[in-house]
Amino acid sequence: MSLIKAEGITKQYLLGNQTVDALRGISFDINQGEFIAIMGPSGSGKSTLMNIIGCLDTPTQGKYFLNQQEVSTFKGDELAKIRNKEIGFVFQTFHLLARNTALDNVMLPLKYAGFDKAKQMKRAKSVLLQVGLESRMEHQPSELSGGQQQRVAIARALVNKPSILFADEPTGNLDSQTGNEVIKLFKDLHDQGQTIILITHENEIASIAQRTIFIKDGLIESDTQNK
Amino acid sequence: MILQESISTAIDAIRANFLRSFLTAIAIIIGTASVIAMVGIGSSAQKAIDDSITNASARTLSVYPSRARGTQKINSTPLVIKDADALIKDKEIQWRVSPEIRGSKSLKYGNESITISVTGARENYFDIQGYEINHGVFFNGRDDLARKRVAVIGSAVGTELKTSSEALVGKEVNLGGVTFKIIGVINSEGVSGWSNPDDQIYIPLLTASDRVFGRDRVDSIRVEVPNLHSPEEAMISIERVLRREHDIGPGEENNFRIHDWSQFTDLQRQATAIFSALIIGIAGISLLVGGIGVMNIMLVSVTERTREIGLRKALGATEKAILFQFIIEAVTLCIIGGVAGVLLGSFLYFIITLFQDWPFAIPFSAIFGSVTFSACIGLFFGIWPARKAAQLEPAVALRYE
Ligand SMILES: Nc1ncnc2c1ncn2[C@@H]1O[C@H](COP(=O)(O)OP(=O)(O)OP(=O)(O)O)[C@@H](O)[C@H]1O
Ligand SMILES: [Mg+2]
Repeated sequence: MSLIKAEGITKQYLLGNQTVDALRGISFDINQGEFIAIMGPSGSGKSTLMNIIGCLDTPTQGKYFLNQQEVSTFKGDELAKIRNKEIGFVFQTFHLLARNTALDNVMLPLKYAGFDKAKQMKRAKSVLLQVGLESRMEHQPSELSGGQQQRVAIARALVNKPSILFADEPTGNLDSQTGNEVIKLFKDLHDQGQTIILITHENEIASIAQRTIFIKDGLIESDTQNK
Repeated sequence: MILQESISTAIDAIRANFLRSFLTAIAIIIGTASVIAMVGIGSSAQKAIDDSITNASARTLSVYPSRARGTQKINSTPLVIKDADALIKDKEIQWRVSPEIRGSKSLKYGNESITISVTGARENYFDIQGYEINHGVFFNGRDDLARKRVAVIGSAVGTELKTSSEALVGKEVNLGGVTFKIIGVINSEGVSGWSNPDDQIYIPLLTASDRVFGRDRVDSIRVEVPNLHSPEEAMISIERVLRREHDIGPGEENNFRIHDWSQFTDLQRQATAIFSALIIGIAGISLLVGGIGVMNIMLVSVTERTREIGLRKALGATEKAILFQFIIEAVTLCIIGGVAGVLLGSFLYFIITLFQDWPFAIPFSAIFGSVTFSACIGLFFGIWPARKAAQLEPAVALRYE
């Protein structure tokens, strides 16, 4: 059974009295443990698609199943629960809470999951160790480099053991060397069995994925297995 | 646990925008401070008034000659010393009677000369008034009968004569052309009502009557009634005695009037209550304005932190969690303002009690009430911004620039 099944997903935005068709009928299946790169020109609808399959947004039309649950019918707090348990996000702009330490940032999803403080600490520390930041746990984001900040964000995305890890241009704000380190981290995670969906503009990065979905004007132009 | 964490998050957010939070809280601080100070002042004033009534083992009535109807002329039958003696002789109530002659005379000492209020009274006057001797002695009954030229002065009289009241004890002064020897100084009393006992001179009643003013007409007769008897009962007795003394036939009107000072304190009490109610009303408006300020700042805060809210939602925060976070923030801000207001108000009130020589007594209910009220303001005015935050769409909020 597939982890994700999308059927005819469309998304329209209303801008004044004008409608923007961001997605125009997208269907695909994604299996457990896949590493998928999503590519396409700017404005093609990549982020919109990620928001929908990441349960941040709902499609205008179409069906979307996650673990056999039809989440496209879910609303508000039901989606919040799915995001908390099943999904981890990594954003281009890190999105860390500026006044909190790395550890506090990583603990946040566990707090919303309702774990007790001791468990939050234990789990957060172990993922920070996994991303190689055990010595930076008490630092605030402003005291960390861009690459370190992105690794904190990755640790936060992983901490509640999500079914899928989403990354929207995770290296977009990093220089190529730190970018490569972050990409290596994704590869390691995939080797440990993590399902990953990664949006990127760079072929080099896409090439480490097993499968590339190319989107243009809100439609899938190609969906190819790499190698 | 969750609450504790929300509060610490809220305090962080408040600290991060300290100046803005402080400015917002000012109206709340002023509001609670005025409530606390006013409630404190009100209760002190009330206490002071109550004490003056209940602590006194007696209530004081004053008898004045009344003016004849329609004229400004003093009635043809004025109050005289003999009226006071008749009251003393009447044994129905064990009251204390103090006839008083008052006037104004020049007082000379050395080269200095001032105009001074003179009170001629008996020995018991000082005790009834609650005055205490500071230097020297009071005059006594024998001084009065002998019409001795001795005087007791208030503590401020000396300075007006370019010396000190203490230094005047034992010295001779000239009061309205008569030489007097100063034998005592009373403790400083402070202004009471419209007279200041500190800058007056006190001489024996008969001395005043025979040697200084040349009249046996008195300005008032003070009657101190023991608590055993009601003021009304005492008034009836006074009336009975004086009507007989003044030969007033049945159906004729009194040519004197009896004043109950405690009625005055009742009025004073009412005035204080109205005054503090007014101030508390104004403070309430200030709190309300503060609440609107809090709402405004919370709306700004929600807008500013749209991306943070989006992120929290992306990580799984429910609407309730976000709602709770922002309400707690508004309530925390208001409670901090409220507590600061209580401290400021108590401090102001404390300063005032020092100057007024009042007991410091803020009722706990006022502290509890005003802090709770501030918290409610935070809750009430925080709900709308918090709802706005809770209902943000995560995808839209994350894109917010
Ligand atoms: N909230 C929105 N309201 C209106 N239009 C939107 C909204 N979000 C996206 N769009 C439009 O939908 C289209 C797809 O946007 P999307 O952000 O998904 O592109 P993208 O492929 O992620 O581009 P990029 O590579 O630049 O990030 C664009 O035309 C964009 O203007
Ligand atoms: Mg995008």
